Amino acid sequence: MGFEQPYLLIVVSSLAIGLAAGFVMYRADFCVTACFRDAFLFRDFFLLRQLLLLVVVSMALFEAGRQTGVLGNYPFPLLGLPSLGTVIGGFVLGIGMVLAGACVCGSLYKLGGGSVLSLIAVAGMLVGSTAYAEIHPQWTSFANASLLVSDAITLPQLLQLPPWALLLPLAAAGGFWLWREFRAGRMDRPNHAVGYLAPWKAVIVLALLGFASWALVGMPIGITTTYAKLGAALQSLIAPDYVDSLAYFQRQPLEYTPPFADQPIRGGPGPQLDAIAAIQYPLLLGIVFGAFIAAASIGEWRLQWRFPPRQWLSALGGGLLLGLAARMTPSCNIWHLWGGLPILALSSLLFLIGLLPGIWVGARLLTRFVIR
Amino acid sequence: MTQTIDIDIRGQICPSCLLLTLKEINRNAAAIRSGAVKIAVLTDDRQATATIPATAERMGFRSAVQHDAAGYRIDISGNA
Repeated sequence: MGFEQPYLLIVVSSLAIGLAAGFVMYRADFCVTACFRDAFLFRDFFLLRQLLLLVVVSMALFEAGRQTGVLGNYPFPLLGLPSLGTVIGGFVLGIGMVLAGACVCGSLYKLGGGSVLSLIAVAGMLVGSTAYAEIHPQWTSFANASLLVSDAITLPQLLQLPPWALLLPLAAAGGFWLWREFRAGRMDRPNHAVGYLAPWKAVIVLALLGFASWALVGMPIGITTTYAKLGAALQSLIAPDYVDSLAYFQRQPLEYTPPFADQPIRGGPGPQLDAIAAIQYPLLLGIVFGAFIAAASIGEWRLQWRFPPRQWLSALGGGLLLGLAARMTPSCNIWHLWGGLPILALSSLLFLIGLLPGIWVGARLLTRFVIR
Repeated sequence: MTQTIDIDIRGQICPSCLLLTLKEINRNAAAIRSGAVKIAVLTDDRQATATIPATAERMGFRSAVQHDAAGYRIDISGNA
């Protein structure tokens, strides 16, 4: 399939959003893994407060966008029904991202900054995402059998309330608490890095980018399906018939009408160029190149490759778990925390419930076996 | 005469930067406090320029960060 209308807007928007996201994440060193991991390891809640700010700002923006009609497709596509499988996937993803050193998105901006360790983690994610296709039929059976609710995607839908009735009080309470944190000086701290961008500024930009993604592409930022897609494309070079035989790569779970379009588009994890490729390939490349520009423009870009062997192994193993888990949930932490949580998607709430103990276990494994 | 212990952790990312520095600080805490020893950390991890000084200062030490072509040098010394 060639890229034609409505793909042009999607490709250009995703690339621009990726470039901006990669730039600000590098300059602020805003790493979602560190948000949780540092809270468990060092009782350092600085980055976790920034993540909460991102969720609260996104919550207010998304609901304002929905109320004014700027954002359609509510709830946005690809959000699944809440299942026990999402909790388990979140748990495994938590372990994987701590061992990998960063999440799916964090590894991309660190790779753009020259980290070979992140390149290894990304390679692990590609393999893990592709390997998921081997267990997809069994995992789907389990996920479907463990559905907790069969007729609601979000908490407001479950409670049969208008979204604003839950979102506005939550956003107001979160905003008030964060305002007090700002006043107490706990939302900023000295940082001596060249070209440093305060994380609270970065997360506001990231929330605006999530809004822009929903308004222009039709959904918030998400990236992991494309890891499976890229893995399938690479595997197809060696064994095309085998890739064609796997049910997972035949799926087309994305079918929606994008903003400013009058016909639906489709996409899935298979190797073909489709809607998923149009949305996520440019986003992925944008994040890497945005971070590259951020590093090179201050003379900081260099290949960082001197790591102890244990960290190489940890990055590879963590990447494998992360890639596999991102298909089990199905989606990554960015999708759930920056997109699903602000609209109180049930699957994102379940993901968070699984993620927290996973990060705790990952942090224990990291300090026990990796960093010595 | 103050002895300087150099830790070159260029290439490593957080949390290993902070954990390895903490290990060295804890091993030499008394000597750092007395002024006999100072720690010089060489890193290229941007996050470490915030986390290491903040942690060292919470422990009662003094820190200073310098940037050069090789990366960032973080000096940790006693507060005496």
